[in-house]
Parts: sequence; C-alpha cells; structure tokens
Amino acid sequence: MNYPVWYLPEIGGGLLIAAIAVLHVFVSHFAVGGGLYLIYAEKKGLGENSEAILDFTKRHARFFLLLTMVFGSITGVGIWFIIALVNPAATSLLIHIFVFGWAAEWVFFVVEISAAFVYFYMFGRMDSATHLKVGWVYFISAWLSLFLINGIICFMLTPGSWLENQNFWAGFFNPSFWPSLLFRTCIAVMLAGVYGYLSASFSRDDSVRISMTRFSAKWSLLALLGALPSGVWYVMVLPEPAKELVLGKSPTIAAAGQWGVASVIVVLGLSLIFGFFRPTLNTRTTALLAMLGALVLMGSFEWIREAARRPYAINEVVYSNMIFKDDLAALDEKGYLQTALWVQDRDIGPENQLEAGRELFIQQCYACHSLNGLNNDLMPLTSHMSHQALVSYIGKIHKIRYFMPPFAGTQEEASMLATYIASGLHGKELVDPAATSAADPGQELFESNCASCHEAEDLGPATEEMDKDGIAAMLETLDELSDEMVPFEGSEEEAAKLAAFIYFLSERAETPSSPVTVDGAVLFESECAACHAAEDMAAALEGWEPAEIKEALDKLDEFSDEMVPFEGSPEEKDALTNFLHKLGREN
Amino acid sequence: MQPIIPSADTIPVAWGWFQFLLLLTFPLHLLAMNAMVGGLAIGVVQHFRGGDSRRRLAHRIAIILPLVIAFAVNFGVAPLLFLQVLYGHFVYTSSILMGLFWIAVVPILIIAYYGAYLYDFKFKGLGAAGKWLALAVLLLLFCIGYFFSNNMLLMTLPERFSEYFQHRDGSLLVSGQSEFLPRYLHMMTGALAVGGLFVALLGRFKAKSAPELAAHASAVGMRTFFYMTIVNVGVGTWYLTSLPKQQMLLFMGRDLAATICFIIALLLVIGVLVSSFRQQLMTTLVGTVVLVYLMSFLRSWLRTDLLADYFNLSQLQVEPQYSSMFLFLFCLAGGVVCVGWLIAKTVNVLRSEI
Repeated sequence: MNYPVWYLPEIGGGLLIAAIAVLHVFVSHFAVGGGLYLIYAEKKGLGENSEAILDFTKRHARFFLLLTMVFGSITGVGIWFIIALVNPAATSLLIHIFVFGWAAEWVFFVVEISAAFVYFYMFGRMDSATHLKVGWVYFISAWLSLFLINGIICFMLTPGSWLENQNFWAGFFNPSFWPSLLFRTCIAVMLAGVYGYLSASFSRDDSVRISMTRFSAKWSLLALLGALPSGVWYVMVLPEPAKELVLGKSPTIAAAGQWGVASVIVVLGLSLIFGFFRPTLNTRTTALLAMLGALVLMGSFEWIREAARRPYAINEVVYSNMIFKDDLAALDEKGYLQTALWVQDRDIGPENQLEAGRELFIQQCYACHSLNGLNNDLMPLTSHMSHQALVSYIGKIHKIRYFMPPFAGTQEEASMLATYIASGLHGKELVDPAATSAADPGQELFESNCASCHEAEDLGPATEEMDKDGIAAMLETLDELSDEMVPFEGSEEEAAKLAAFIYFLSERAETPSSPVTVDGAVLFESECAACHAAEDMAAALEGWEPAEIKEALDKLDEFSDEMVPFEGSPEEKDALTNFLHKLGREN
Repeated sequence: MQPIIPSADTIPVAWGWFQFLLLLTFPLHLLAMNAMVGGLAIGVVQHFRGGDSRRRLAHRIAIILPLVIAFAVNFGVAPLLFLQVLYGHFVYTSSILMGLFWIAVVPILIIAYYGAYLYDFKFKGLGAAGKWLALAVLLLLFCIGYFFSNNMLLMTLPERFSEYFQHRDGSLLVSGQSEFLPRYLHMMTGALAVGGLFVALLGRFKAKSAPELAAHASAVGMRTFFYMTIVNVGVGTWYLTSLPKQQMLLFMGRDLAATICFIIALLLVIGVLVSSFRQQLMTTLVGTVVLVYLMSFLRSWLRTDLLADYFNLSQLQVEPQYSSMFLFLFCLAGGVVCVGWLIAKTVNVLRSEI
C-alpha cells in the first residue's frame, strides 16, 4: 500500500519471481560447489599426472565460467530487480535492514569474478600451486556470498528474536541460518557432481569420461547423504505454522514435496549407477536427466521454502501483499481505500463499487492470484462462489486458510471486493441477501460457510450415506476431516438447517420439509416485528404449547382490531409456530 | 496536487555514509560501463572499416569485452544498493512505473553478454558475421542505457508518479521529457569518449609484444576521446539548458559548492582535451577519472535539488547499528587484498610471457 502494484493480471508477479529465482539458484549453487569441484578435479589431474583430466578440468572451467558469470550473475541481479518490482515493501525493508550484509556480499562477488577470470584465463599458464590457490580464493569467496545471502533469505522465513530487538545480528543469525547453510552447501556440492556428469558425458576420451563420472558421483552421493539430516534439521527449526504447512497442511507444498522426492530418487539412482555400477551409462541423455532431476529438486526446495513463509513475505512482519501486520487493525477500522497511498479514487459510492473492488483486488489479492493466468488463477477458484459466499469467505480467509493473508479493510470493502469478483469478473447478478435468506436459510448458510471450497453437486454424493443428524455431527468436527477446515461455528439451530440443506443435496426419497426452506425468524421479522419486540413476545408466550400458538395465529383479529389472522402457507405457519414456541421456552 | 510519494524506511547509519559510498562506487560503474560501450563501439567501427590492423584491434577489444561487461555489471551493484537505501521510495516507484522495460534489462543483458562471449571465442570463425554480431551487442547495450536513463530521470519526477494509474502494467517511459534526450546522449557520448581512452590503454599493454597494434590503438583511442569530448561539451550544454531554470542556475551561482565543482570540471575538460591532443595517455586518464567523479557529484547535486521540494536526505530516520558497517568495511579490506593478490599473480604471468 506504500508502493504501487505492478499489475500484469494474466501473468502475476509470483510467476516471474519463480521463473528467475529457480533458474538462478540452480546456477548460483553450482557456482559455489563447482568451484570446489574444479580445485579437486585439477588436483586429481595433477596427482595422476593426467593431461586428459587437466584438459577436462579446463573445458569444465570454461563451461563453468560461461554459465555462472553470465547466466548466474545476471539472473542474480534479475532476482533483485524482480523482487523490487513485485514486492518493493519487503525488498526495501530487507535492503535497509541488511544493507551492509548485501554490500559485503558485493565485495565477495567482486573477488569471485576476479578469481574466476584468473582461474580460467591462467589455466596452464600459471604455476599449479598458485593456480590452485586462485581456485581456493574463488571457492571461499563464493561460499561466503552464500553465507551472507543465506542469512538474509532465512531471515524472511524465521526472523527470530529480531522481531523483539530489531538487531542486525539477531536477524542475520536467525533460527534457520545454520541448518539452511549446511543444507545449501550440500546442495551446492551435489550440483557440482551433477554438472560434472554433463561435462564428462561430452568427453571423447572414454577413460576420462569413466574416471570423471565416478569422481562426480562421489560428490553427488556424499552431498545427498549430508543434505538429508540437514534438511530434517531445517524443518525442525521452523516456527510451528510453517512446520505444519511443510508437513502436509499446505496442498501446494505437498505437491512440490512429491516432485522433490521423485527428483531425489532420480539423482540418487543415477549417481549410484554412475558411481558404482556402470559409469559408461553416463551419456548426454542420462546426464541431462540427472540435470533435470537436480533442477526439479532445487525448484521444489525453493517452492517449499517460499510457500512455508506464507502468508508473509517476511514472517510476522509483512504479508505477501505488502500489508504490514502491525497496520491491520488500523486498516480494518479506517478502511483500506482511505488509508493506502496508491488509490485512484477514494470517493466511494454506489456507482464505483466495481472499480473500488478492483482496486482492492489489485492491492490485496493479485500478489498471489492471476486472472486467467498460469499462476494460481483466481477465476476457477471463485467461479462457483456467490457474492454472499465471497463476503463471508473474505472475512475469515486467514482463519480458514492460514497461508492467505487476512483481508485488510472494513466489512463494506470486503463486500466491494466480493462484488468485483462475483460481478466484475464472473458477470454474476448480485442477489439481495435478504431474499436468499427468506427463501432458504440452509442455502444461505451453505453459501457463507461451504461454497467457497465446495460445489453443491460434489457434496451431495459425498453425504449420500448420511442422515441429517450425522451431517450435523460432522459439521462440529470438520477439522478432523481436513486441516483446511474448521468446525462449523453457527448455533445448533443453524447447524440443523445447514445439515438439512446438505442432506437434500443428494437424491432422497423424502422431500425437504418446511423448516428447510422457511425460516420462522425471518417470518417473525416480516410479519410481527414491526409491532412486537421479540422479548415481549417471549414473555407473553411463556408456557404456551405449539398447538395453542398455531390456533392463535388463525384468530389474531380476536386479540386486537389492529391484527389480522396469519395468511401464510401451512409450512410458513409451522415455521412461525416453531419459532414462537422456542421464543416462549427460552424466556 | 501533491505527488504520491511512498514513505522511506529507516537506515542503520547516518545518511552521509551511504552518500559517500554511493559517490565512491558509482563512478567506478560509469568508468567500466564507458569502457564497455565506448570500447565496443570503437571495435565495431574498426571491424566494419576492415583492414588488418583494424581487425586486430577489433579482436583485442572482443577478447577483453566479456571481462569489462562483468565489471560494469558488478560495479553497478554497489551504487544501485546505496541508491536504494537513500532514495528507495523514489527508485522503487519509478522502476514499477516502467516495470516492463526495467525487467527487460535482464534478458537483454544476458543476450548481449552471451553475444560478447561468442564474439570473443569465435572471432575468427564468425568471419563477416562477427561485425554484425558486435553491432547487435552494441545496440542492446545502448538499449539498456536508454532504460537506465529513463529510470534515473523518472525517479526525480515525482509529479509524474500519478501517471501510474494509466500505466499499471509498467509501460511508462519519460523519453518525451525535454531533458531526456540530452541527458541520455551526454551519458553515451561520454561513454564513447572514455571508451577511446580504454582502447588506447589496451594498446599500451601491447606496446612491447605488438607495437603496431599498440600504435594504432593509441591513435584511434586518443582521437576518439578528443573529438567525442568536444561533441560532449556541446551535448552537455544542451543538457544544462534543457533543465528547469532553477536547476540550471544551481551550477551558475545559486549553490556555491555546486558552481565551484562545475567550474573545476569545465577547467578539467579543457585540460584533458589538451593532454589528449598531445597524446598524453596517462595524464588524460587520470584527469578523466577525476572528471567522471566530479560529473557524478554534479549529477548528485542535481538529483538532490530536483527532489528538494519533496524530500531531503536528512529526513531519513536513523536507527543506529554501526557494527554491521564494520562487517562490510572488514570484508572490503579483505576483498581489496585478495583482488590485489590476484592482479599481482596475473601480472607476473603476463610479464613472464612477454
């Protein structure tokens, strides 16, 4: 809200960040581990006095230079550009807190590229001992770059005691710093081995291909062994909500986790084959398969790490939609559109509800949802939701789905956002909630509580075997069915109405009875409340039986000249009778 | 109507430190960028004009180009970081307003960079196609400069920030602003001039092993510097007069320090013109480095003045954490030692090969 939103509805900023980030980390971790690999490959060549292995190392160094210096370094700058475009609020905060951490990282970047150039261009021209030292200068500076950037990235997930003291060092050496550093170092070494397969597969000398494939496999296998415990340690230090998301509460993380496991199996399997059984099977195709496996592994790790941080960009500080947690209460009270900086029209009236809703969508939803785009498209997610269902869902969005930020703004603004989604995006006619209520309270409850996630036609078959009481009981324990659900929070009476509505979603021998479709409270409001307060009626009807009440409804004119007998249908009379009886009992 | 300007975040040390670091590192980026753009431009002209010595010079430039690009990018990181610390609320906003073009810098640079490596590694193999490849890389680099000039100008124009509502997709450019063209041309013409010095310096390194190439590089480089600097005096004057009157007068007496800096810079221009005419490479080089620093100071004065109605650096809130700065200074010292050692070892090898 402090910054404008770069709005590309069909693309979404998240997709751009993911595309650049995943490719960058795949190369930048290689830039760390690959440096160490070059040193040991060169030592192997020198130790075995093998010109062929030294040639291989030089060719690998050239590939390394071309990939890390160009693609690695420019996509690194690219991440900086894209995060500043997509989430300038969080980026600015990171830059301002850790400016000297970034600056120190820049120093290592200078040393890194200087050493990389000297290593490559002086290969075979410099004495071996000095050349190896240059390799070490490269590797140590590259690893220190990782050390620094790791602190800042981990801060976003686990800010730790920085939240209380705002201290640079507390933020930098945060709870996930060490496990993440160890994990990333292992991944960097693993990637060095996997990239080694690729270079080896291009070698025309069979002995070099076999020797360097075996050599590379040792790197990958050892690194994978180290990555496992450090990965577990990493998960253990996560704050509880993030840990729950990682351990299955988030469906996107669960999906990414499956890809991650599959990719580990691919890399592990190929490394075992290359290392111990048949290094000759390292062809360009299998080497590329190992690369693909490593890329997917890297991508799923980064995806999980990013998703575990949700709904925050910086945990407990700023949400992914650039709203600061500390500002929520004020925004709810004063209204988002009256508070945010980049609002075109603050003068909201009935004529610009759609435009106001669109503004709220751009500023609060677009950070994660595209429109008709690839990334988390909002259109199918909301296509079955009515305006009323949306209003209700938006109000408790963070409660139902922890990984989504809470809506920031007033009830009216929530309604405007719902209007934009239901009417502006889906072209649905807005229905007067009162009319819906009178027609079917069970349906209204369904719309408000269930329709955001469930289609009515899906729930019918799912509850086919259950009776109304069973459904009502299930509503109280929804959290046991899924982590994403919370128990129904309405009254017992509302639960019964909702259960009845759900019950009749599937084909039944019986037909819905009046209480399902007629609400006594609504009838009381429309027929009686203009003259009678509910508490007065409760006192007057104390001790009355339903039959007496029903009879009285037929001769109201006998009680007073100002009244006429109740003229509703038998079902409506039953409903009103039940309501009045309950009112008398409760007195 | 009051412009929309985001609020700034707090800074960990007094703003003067960041201003110092910004003004220390930005000229380094400018010098590397100038060597990259100007050096390549000369290489392209040499390659197109043909002939043995010209092609050899183009090849020398092709070999050094990837290294120069690496350092131009790298030396750009530090000033962009310090700029974001001091003026983040302006430059994040301007970047978003031109987001489509700003993010395009990344793929364009990757393509140009790989093009430069291809030009280097396959110089002979590419034959006549090489010069076209080099021209394409040069045009891409000009394009990146065009986007940077747009952003750096737009960040000083908060009164145009409200155009965001017509450009939510990040499609705003300010090339139509009267000062844009002279500003961009001033930067690019300066790059061509300093690129000339870089080429002459390249020749100097080959003085013993390839004296003919060295003489040719020196003649072409110094001549380019001389003429391009004269052209740039004209473009610079155009830029000065295109500025709002208040800012133009800033360097003509309204601010004493800015005026003195401007006068010294003008005198230095005369000095480097004379020394380049006399083919005094090292004198011209030292003078030009100082001149680039002075021009950076003038540019900073101008930015401060353009934003003065809305913001000045002393408004930034400081929440002191100086220990983090010591970490950086410690790393910087270590980094300088490492780079010095790398240069020394490389120079030893190069000397032994002559």
